[in-house]
Amino acid sequence: MDRTIVDFVKALRTAELKVSPAETLDAMAALDVIGIEDREFLKNTLSMVLSKTPEEKESFETCFEQFFTFEQFQGNLIPADDVSHDDDGGEFDPSDDDNPQAGEGRGGGAGMGGGGGSASEGDESDSTADVPNTMQPESRLGQLLMNNDKTEITIAVVEAGREVEVNQIVVFTQKGLYTRKIMDAMGLPELQDEISELKGHGGLPQRKLSNLLKSGRDTLRERVRDYVERQFFLHADEQGKQLREELLKKVKLSNLEKRNYKDVQQVVFKMAKKLIAVHSKQRKTVKRGQLDVRKTLRHNMQYDGALFDIKWKATKIDRPKVMAICDVSGSVSNYSRFLLMFLYSLSEILPKVRAFAFSSDLGEVTRLFDQSGLEDAIAKTMRDYGNGSTDYGQMLQDFKSNCMDDVNNKTTIIILGDARNNFGDPRAEILREMYDKSKRVIWLNPEPKMSWTVGDAEMKKYAACCHQTEVCNSLMHLERVVGNLLRSVS
Amino acid sequence: MSIKNEERLASIEVIQENFEKLDYICNLQIATAVFLAYHLGKPILIEGPPGVGKTELAKTCADMLDLECIRLQCYEGLDESKAIYEWKYGKQLLYTQVLKETLSEILQGATGLAESVSMLHDFGDIFFSEEFLEPRPLLKALRHEDGCVLLIDEVDKSDHEFESLLLELLSDFQLSIPEIGTIKADPEHKPLVFLTSNNTREISDALKRRCLHLYIPFPDAPLERRIIQARVPDISEKLRNQLVTFIQELRDMDLKKVPAISETIDWARTLILLHSESLDADLVRQTLNVILKFQEDIESIDAEVQTITNKAVKET
Repeated sequence: MDRTIVDFVKALRTAELKVSPAETLDAMAALDVIGIEDREFLKNTLSMVLSKTPEEKESFETCFEQFFTFEQFQGNLIPADDVSHDDDGGEFDPSDDDNPQAGEGRGGGAGMGGGGGSASEGDESDSTADVPNTMQPESRLGQLLMNNDKTEITIAVVEAGREVEVNQIVVFTQKGLYTRKIMDAMGLPELQDEISELKGHGGLPQRKLSNLLKSGRDTLRERVRDYVERQFFLHADEQGKQLREELLKKVKLSNLEKRNYKDVQQVVFKMAKKLIAVHSKQRKTVKRGQLDVRKTLRHNMQYDGALFDIKWKATKIDRPKVMAICDVSGSVSNYSRFLLMFLYSLSEILPKVRAFAFSSDLGEVTRLFDQSGLEDAIAKTMRDYGNGSTDYGQMLQDFKSNCMDDVNNKTTIIILGDARNNFGDPRAEILREMYDKSKRVIWLNPEPKMSWTVGDAEMKKYAACCHQTEVCNSLMHLERVVGNLLRSVS
Repeated sequence: MSIKNEERLASIEVIQENFEKLDYICNLQIATAVFLAYHLGKPILIEGPPGVGKTELAKTCADMLDLECIRLQCYEGLDESKAIYEWKYGKQLLYTQVLKETLSEILQGATGLAESVSMLHDFGDIFFSEEFLEPRPLLKALRHEDGCVLLIDEVDKSDHEFESLLLELLSDFQLSIPEIGTIKADPEHKPLVFLTSNNTREISDALKRRCLHLYIPFPDAPLERRIIQARVPDISEKLRNQLVTFIQELRDMDLKKVPAISETIDWARTLILLHSESLDADLVRQTLNVILKFQEDIESIDAEVQTITNKAVKET
């Protein structure tokens, strides 16, 4: 059972649950206590030990269901009327499934890991005594097929799968390879030899047997393929997803297509979560050497006023106050979308984000984001402010008249735009004013640095009035900028 | 004692039954958690929306096992002097005063400074001994002779530092006091530890790793009916069903704070006080402030009260 747990934990990890080795050990200890008879009980237990958030519990659920389906291979491998055994068809319960004539020799095939080879030997003598006309195959796999015991076949497939390490499967093109490997491990070569030998023999019973074996082999192959497929979904599907996510992080945001948005959103949430985890701790710096007299006196009242416990002055570090000004005109709107998405996913550690959008006239969209969901808010922003020709001068003018009073030395202003001003007046002096008043002005430009001065771009003028200018055209860049933003204050 | 507890926690069904006797109706997961916590000797971290009976679970558990329930309410700024132990400074002071007067007697016969200092050293150790130790909830729980139920309520309200402070207790059931040494719980009578969290912030992985994680969601309708039956036995079956259907409807709506079980129970009690037999829209409007705690919420569902009430009355 230990090995099964380890395999299961591995499957959980590919499903992005963080399971530590210590928790794996806990799970094993828990198994010792509860046993494995009751499936529901087992599930509840493992869910408690291994998954530690409501979201994790959900993915745990699906993973558990996938992993612990000991789905019987349904239906018979060999058509029932051809075999002399009267098999009672596709029942699911393994213990009832032994057919009356052949079952006695095996003693219930439901036990885990019952060796396929040795068990079927006893069976052989039974069957031949009952039905002398049917020949029995000699190869191990052949016997397994003729016995037609679904439980045993299932076990054999699972064991063979373990032997060839099917859980190492990575990409879907490997399905065929693993199917063949499992078949080989189950003894396909011997069966093949036997089939061809029987065919060559020429006698009627031999020919009949060889046909039976052949159809059995083909059905078995189908089943094994299904099994490998399920294993693939369990072990590798998520890995592929991770690969895709890595790619999404690096790709240029303007190249993303609509169908990717959903994935990207997930990636953004994940990145945001990481940043939250790193920065959520509210830090205090303790200024040593400055006595906090009030606090000390009050605290030491309980000791009859003797100053045992001395308190120092501490300053709390404030979260940055962020103002994000986003160009949502056609050329840059995609980038703005993701910057806003990023900032608002961080609301837990950045509670004071104010967002502005403009093409020419600046408008505050903070309320939109507070009231409606991220998707809606972005769509509405794009609708209301997007698709005009850009005018940075106008934007800065609007900012000055509306919001300049709110800017103080704790404010960080992030401007996202390509600084292409259609040869209008850049009004860089307003940006200079913002630069002087605020803590930081960060300009994110999606274009590569080379083209910052080409054509109608005013980046050169603006850059002089920014604390920091960055190229920013992928999620990776965004993450870095936002990460720096959080770090610079703590 | 422990043999009796062994019986009371013998299997999940037994636990469920015992809880039910104490009017705490629980689902399989909760019973499994208690079972595992006892048999593996691990703390349980309980998460879930407010008012689903997280704290109640710990209290009921203590009742069931006849153990004392030691509760530590967490808040911002909680530190070890309030959670684990503190020195009785006053007493220490008093004793120093006494010592001062008898100092010359004690130091009699000492020749030279070195000898006097070494004699005084022995006293120093006495000042930091168990005599002068004021145990706080965590230490009390650890040293409790019969074992106890330790409830650390709303861990998410405390600081990160405090969370780390708990780690030693949770994994090894021991606490280190620098002046005295490590204090360990009696392996036969380990405290049964419950931590609750409202998820206002993410609990650190280190803490989660050491605990069993139990998530208690809002109950479904049949379970909630049973809970109301157990807690408010006076209520008529008809009214109970209507009430639960109404609440379940509310939980699907966009509200600032959806009503939890505790609100349902309060509401049931209110309705009994008002001698009402069945729900109607006016009655609901008048008593809405029992289940909804925001004026905004009350206003927003005002228009729909009639429809939901009708639905609740019709369905039952």
